[in-house]
Amino acid sequence: MTTQTETTEFSYHPRWEQFKSKLGGWSLTTYGILAFAFLYLPIIILVIFSFNESRSVSKWTGFSLHWYSEMFQDDRIMLSVWNSLFLAVVSTAIATVLGTLAALGLERYQFRGKTAIDSMFYLPVIIPDIAMAIMLLLFFNMSGIGFTPWKVQFFGVKLAVPYSVIIGHVAFNTSFVAIVVRARLAQMDRTLEEAAQDLYADTWRTFQRITLPMLMPGIIGGALLAFTLSLDDFVITFFTSGAGFNTLPVRVFGMIKKGVTPKINAVSTLMLAVSLSLVIISILLRTRSGDDETVQMGF
Amino acid sequence: MTDTYAVELQDVVKQFGDVIAVNHVTLQIHDGEFFSLLGPSGCGKTTTLRMIAGFEMPTSGAIYIHGQRQGYRPPNKRPVNTVFQNYALFPHMTVAKNVAFGLEMKKLAKEDIKRRVGEALEMVRLSGMANRKPKQLSGGQQQRVALARALVNRPEVLLLDEPLGALDLKLRKAMQLELKALQEEVGITFIYVTHDQEEALTMSDRIAVMNNGIVHQVGNPEEIYEHPADRFVADFIGETNFIPVKVVALSPAIVVELNTGERVHAGWAEEGLAVGDNAVLSIRPEKMDLLEPHERPQTPSHNIALIQGSISHLVYVGTDTRHTVTLRDGTNVVVRLQNVYIGEEPWEIGEETIVTWNAAHARILKE
Repeated sequence: MTTQTETTEFSYHPRWEQFKSKLGGWSLTTYGILAFAFLYLPIIILVIFSFNESRSVSKWTGFSLHWYSEMFQDDRIMLSVWNSLFLAVVSTAIATVLGTLAALGLERYQFRGKTAIDSMFYLPVIIPDIAMAIMLLLFFNMSGIGFTPWKVQFFGVKLAVPYSVIIGHVAFNTSFVAIVVRARLAQMDRTLEEAAQDLYADTWRTFQRITLPMLMPGIIGGALLAFTLSLDDFVITFFTSGAGFNTLPVRVFGMIKKGVTPKINAVSTLMLAVSLSLVIISILLRTRSGDDETVQMGF
Repeated sequence: MTDTYAVELQDVVKQFGDVIAVNHVTLQIHDGEFFSLLGPSGCGKTTTLRMIAGFEMPTSGAIYIHGQRQGYRPPNKRPVNTVFQNYALFPHMTVAKNVAFGLEMKKLAKEDIKRRVGEALEMVRLSGMANRKPKQLSGGQQQRVALARALVNRPEVLLLDEPLGALDLKLRKAMQLELKALQEEVGITFIYVTHDQEEALTMSDRIAVMNNGIVHQVGNPEEIYEHPADRFVADFIGETNFIPVKVVALSPAIVVELNTGERVHAGWAEEGLAVGDNAVLSIRPEKMDLLEPHERPQTPSHNIALIQGSISHLVYVGTDTRHTVTLRDGTNVVVRLQNVYIGEEPWEIGEETIVTWNAAHARILKE
């Protein structure tokens, strides 16, 4: 018995097919270039004009480091830089400890109300900054705590940082750290901890020798993310700082109100450089640890 | 209670919610013994091992290690070490650091640790790999690191949870022999969990066959294979024919009747069977033979079973051929005959035959 095979006519014109495939290649390349230009052209222009000689931010007149020296001589900008750095260091340190502990608690233990607390941790990530800023502002106003500044020497610079801003930054950073560390923790093989216990390590030593080192890439990733977020934050800082306290983004906002000069470009380039270095550090740490199971979040 | 056993389980029960993982298990494991817990996945063998290690606490019952009741003693305070199924090597430490971990936790002197780690790595022939990370090793090498990491502590009992499961067949066979040799060399009690019956038969001094949380039989490999205690063991270990029968007599001789009306004697009957009960006759395919109808003995003996049938299927498997014979009631039995013939396979499909076996090899088991 023979079965009838169905024949389909395929129209095939070699030149047309060749043209189509070339056209596809070209349009994909063009699209790629345009997409990247859209993303990075403003940044490139910003960086270029920070080196402009004249006051103009749109007309190139010649190369100069004038605006950078101006920036470094501006005491108010430099103070805001130190404020930003101090705030980022302190809030990251606190948030990293709290976030890591929260991640361990949420991932490793069963308790009443766990689901509720779990979702609450995502709240600062999801809700708009402005909502969180207003909530914090109202809280500090009502409770009457926080706006008193913490007077401190940081690398020889005298700073006065309101506790409210630190608390505000810790509040959102803790969530980010917790989420990043939890992702790492969820991937971790629990039998490793059992193996350590089996080899006579008590709970603390198991944590110290196994859990913590295994979590380190996640903790560092979370800390770097928190640091960058803290450096970049405008809205929450602006609302919670009260009068007279400026971080770099808040300072830039103040300057723009008086007109844009290439000094702002220079400041922005500096911030860009810091953020970029943090990303590079995190990538280097990731490749150096040689741990290909690591999927780090953030950035 | 008693100090003659390396590990003793008394009426141990483990429940996870509504599920009974281990159901009234009592075991005595001798010092220096290679003891296997064998059963299909989910039979409770790993849970039993984890209770001995201290990762799980029994719901009821008691566990003794060298006469010492373990109770709620945590794993780090028990004189046992475990080789995990996935090895659980610490990925951020070198091979040497992995092996040294237990000794460091015991706070031994630095020189002692160094010497013993060296010896342990030598024992598993990995001396050159001391400074590698676990990821840079092959599966078999990782397996040996896990072994060294456990044995370096000189535990009273070594627990192994399917340690060869992740290796390919050839490596597994080699490691089976290596493990057995190692166990004889160090003289430590091994408790070995596996679902691979061949592995258990090859390596063990004694085996406990488990299913659904219950220990069905404990015995040495030969006992387990030749004298299975019940239908589960007979079915799980090796290949067996089950022929439905009715018990006709139990003493002085055990006699059963097949559905075809043919009567045969048997060597052993499971406890609790009574005359008139339905049961199964269990017989291994290699214990049977085939006769041409004209070869039927003139003087029948009680010791020799002779059952009529016809060849329905032949499968050539190298060393022997599996002959499927359909009895007159439609029951299929498999007879394995070694391929010692000269020329062509002597049997062909459809041919009438007589299946025969020695009555002593037949065991009557509950359905």
